Amino acid sequence: MKKLSILLAVFLLVIGAALTSVAAQQDEAPDGVWLGTWPYRLPPDHHLNAYADGGPNTNLGNVYREMVELAPAFYMWADNSYEAILAESWGFSEDGSAYELTLRSDAMWSNGDSINAMDVITTYALGRLVGWTQFDFIDTVEMVDEFTVSFGFIDEPSLLAEQLILREPLVATATYGEFAEQALALFDEGLDRESDEWSDLLVSLREYRPTEYVASGPYTYSISDVGDSFMTLSWHPNSIFSGTVQFGEIKLWAGETDSTTPLVLSGEIAHSTNVYPPTVVESYQQQGIEIVTIPRGYGPAMLFNWNVSPWDIQEVRQAVALVIERDQNAFLTNGLGAMGTVYMAGILDGNIGAMLTDDVIEQLDLYEYDLERAEALMEEAGFSRNNNGIWADADGNTISSEWIFPAEFADFAGASQDAIAQMNEFGFDISARAMPWQEVPDNIRNNTFELSVWSWGAASPFASRHFNNPLQRWVTDLDTATQPGMAIPMEAYPFNGETVNLDEMIRQMNAGVDVDAHVERAGEVALIVNQTMPYIPLNVILSAEPFNTDVIAGLPSMDDPIMLNPTGRDHFIKLSILTGVLGPAS
Amino acid sequence: MDAIAAGDAISDEKPVSKNTKNFTKSYTFRVILQGIITIWAATTFTFFLVRLLPGNPVSIRIDQLMQQGYTIEEARNQAATLFDFNPDEPMLQQYSTYMVNLVQGNLGTSITSAGTPVRDQILRFLPWTLISVGSALLISFSVGILLGIMIAYWRGGVLDNVITALASILSGIPDYVYAILIILIAGVQLQWFNVGEMRGGVTQGIPAGFTVEYISSVIKHALLPVITYLLATVGVWILSMKSSTISVLGEDYINVAKARGLSEGRILTAYVGRNAMLPLVTRLAISIGFVLSGSVIVERFFEYPGLGLQLARAVGARDYTTMQGIFLVITIGVIVSNILADLVMGWLDPRVSLEDN
Repeated sequence: MKKLSILLAVFLLVIGAALTSVAAQQDEAPDGVWLGTWPYRLPPDHHLNAYADGGPNTNLGNVYREMVELAPAFYMWADNSYEAILAESWGFSEDGSAYELTLRSDAMWSNGDSINAMDVITTYALGRLVGWTQFDFIDTVEMVDEFTVSFGFIDEPSLLAEQLILREPLVATATYGEFAEQALALFDEGLDRESDEWSDLLVSLREYRPTEYVASGPYTYSISDVGDSFMTLSWHPNSIFSGTVQFGEIKLWAGETDSTTPLVLSGEIAHSTNVYPPTVVESYQQQGIEIVTIPRGYGPAMLFNWNVSPWDIQEVRQAVALVIERDQNAFLTNGLGAMGTVYMAGILDGNIGAMLTDDVIEQLDLYEYDLERAEALMEEAGFSRNNNGIWADADGNTISSEWIFPAEFADFAGASQDAIAQMNEFGFDISARAMPWQEVPDNIRNNTFELSVWSWGAASPFASRHFNNPLQRWVTDLDTATQPGMAIPMEAYPFNGETVNLDEMIRQMNAGVDVDAHVERAGEVALIVNQTMPYIPLNVILSAEPFNTDVIAGLPSMDDPIMLNPTGRDHFIKLSILTGVLGPAS
Repeated sequence: MDAIAAGDAISDEKPVSKNTKNFTKSYTFRVILQGIITIWAATTFTFFLVRLLPGNPVSIRIDQLMQQGYTIEEARNQAATLFDFNPDEPMLQQYSTYMVNLVQGNLGTSITSAGTPVRDQILRFLPWTLISVGSALLISFSVGILLGIMIAYWRGGVLDNVITALASILSGIPDYVYAILIILIAGVQLQWFNVGEMRGGVTQGIPAGFTVEYISSVIKHALLPVITYLLATVGVWILSMKSSTISVLGEDYINVAKARGLSEGRILTAYVGRNAMLPLVTRLAISIGFVLSGSVIVERFFEYPGLGLQLARAVGARDYTTMQGIFLVITIGVIVSNILADLVMGWLDPRVSLEDN
């Protein structure tokens, strides 16, 4: 009996020691340090309020914020699915009037509080106060039980709303609870944005400066961790991912592309999402730094002012599409980090297969480089070359226009200058004018331009968002009474001798949850865009990101499905860091 | 007694009133008054000018976010939360509010960081600019004056030829080129210093205070911006001083001093140097004023937390209130240093104030 007692005691001691050891391991930060970069602001501009500029959104961006504040789920572009993060389950209610989200019951904030439905209520109460776009789709957010919330739709259920709900990071009631309570009281009283009470609360919320960053992700930081040259996110033990991450710290160097270049070269930055010029990318490669090329979700498009003749003529725009050699244009945009647009349908080439049917894809005009066809189209539109070889109308007026482009954006400037050169070679008379980048969108909005360049497409799995940029962004999303934008008649768009409401077609494209219907509607708009060329999608920019494998191990291979995710909100490093796929190199 | 007291009071008042009258007619008073009027005019001008810049903070933020790969929804969500800014408020109303606050010493709060006082932003970034650009200016001025006098006095010699050529080359290269060369060649290629460690204003983690560790860290971090600024400006001081010295050397009183057999050192310092420096004093005063604006590009390359870096960010984001606050500081700096230069010139050369009267 005595021996048995001793054996039992020894056994318990061993088990206890082992358990203590495991617990100790969980309480200890891993050794690795992630070396990244983000252009964060310095205090006093830098603060911890997620509902004011200068807060986590600004300072951690859409890549690093979710290291601190987790979203319910992570989106996988390869198969259009969601990986659970904070969510246990999610989906539309049976009658389709609501969306239900249930959180994991074991998730905790860094302060030890449980993450529960009240945090969702808090997040969305303040989201509604500040005017989030989620409320274009939903009108109620109600707690079902401790971990379940129901979002009520204004009209029909929406997959777009689903994504906004599942990808929005949640904030802590411990931090924002008092504001959320006041906001909910305002909503209960039936007050709206125009009321003084609403404005006052909004001002108080924006001026709020939390002293502690209560985190659901495995990292957190305080203002004292923000230095002039880098800031440090430190590991804490309470997150559901604290046990899987392999980095004890995330060190983010301050600065934009130019000031981070030497740090990438010297190995002090292991990964960066900045857009580096092709020559810099080449020097990284010479240094032995791997370049990871993933989608960026946009490219430069040539924008026409439809109020300026002859850019309102379909045949002229089609001719322009035919005389610009797009692979060359892509190379001069961003070296090997860009590809000439293939499908010319207003949807990024990488998403065409998922958003259009094969039948529609076969009908698309690829506008391959063809000067003869362009020539014929110009003549069909009533133009002929004058003695100088410049295209002119029947009255002898040459096609002369000015193309404005942002001087600071090397990619857009390169795309513009090459397109202008190719167009002039064909017989247009286009002059280039560089200006500060902030002035270009302003000129487009105000319709004070003739030709310009800005982005097209979107890092979104919804076709409507691709068409939105630039069609609605620079026309119907504006206050057209004061800002005509590109002046495209979106509500009475000329197509095949008739008019269609292109704006409404795009707005309705992703309504409802029937994916086949989405694809069908996207096909209709794609064919219109492809045939009429309201703008020219010149090329698609890729994100060529330096990734130093001497410092960080575990880079997924390029055929890994996660590498189809674009940079930004769904960047592969986010899930890869959280799940421990990425770790320090030995 | 009462009469005497009253008489005393009258006799006390008279000189005060006379002094006041004299002061209001004085050169000093007029210079200061002109300065105040100039500050008001410059403040008013910048107020309207910054608002005439294309774009407003909200639209620029959305454009900026979409350029970073945000979707339209994400960009709008962020922009919605961002600003305490009403673009529809009449400009004159904004102006009157701004001026009333300004008179009370309130510079307002940042538009792009709602709730952050502009005063706090300026106090946070100004000292670093004063340390780096200020010290670089003083070093550059001193070195430039010294070398300028030397090469002018011994002009035509090897030293003159070498330094003049070097100064011409140095002054022809912009500061950002020096910054790039220092970082890429000295830092990355030759590894004379760790690029990351030299960024910022001070090594992270060292508590602020008058300790050897903190001060040496501040000096270490200021070194590269100071060297850059020094290289970019010293040539101009050398050439200006040389030119000014040569014109002084032709004056009769220098020949008289030489004829009297005074030592070269005495002639250089007491006769040549003092007189040759006079035109450069005004220039130095203006430069001191502009020190406050920092050096935007240099601060950006070294991530040095100065006012120039903050100004660049504010202009890019159209943060009107922050821009105005920084412009006001620069305006005051330039005007005050010019007032001081005027007063010093009036003191050094009485003809200035007499002619003005």
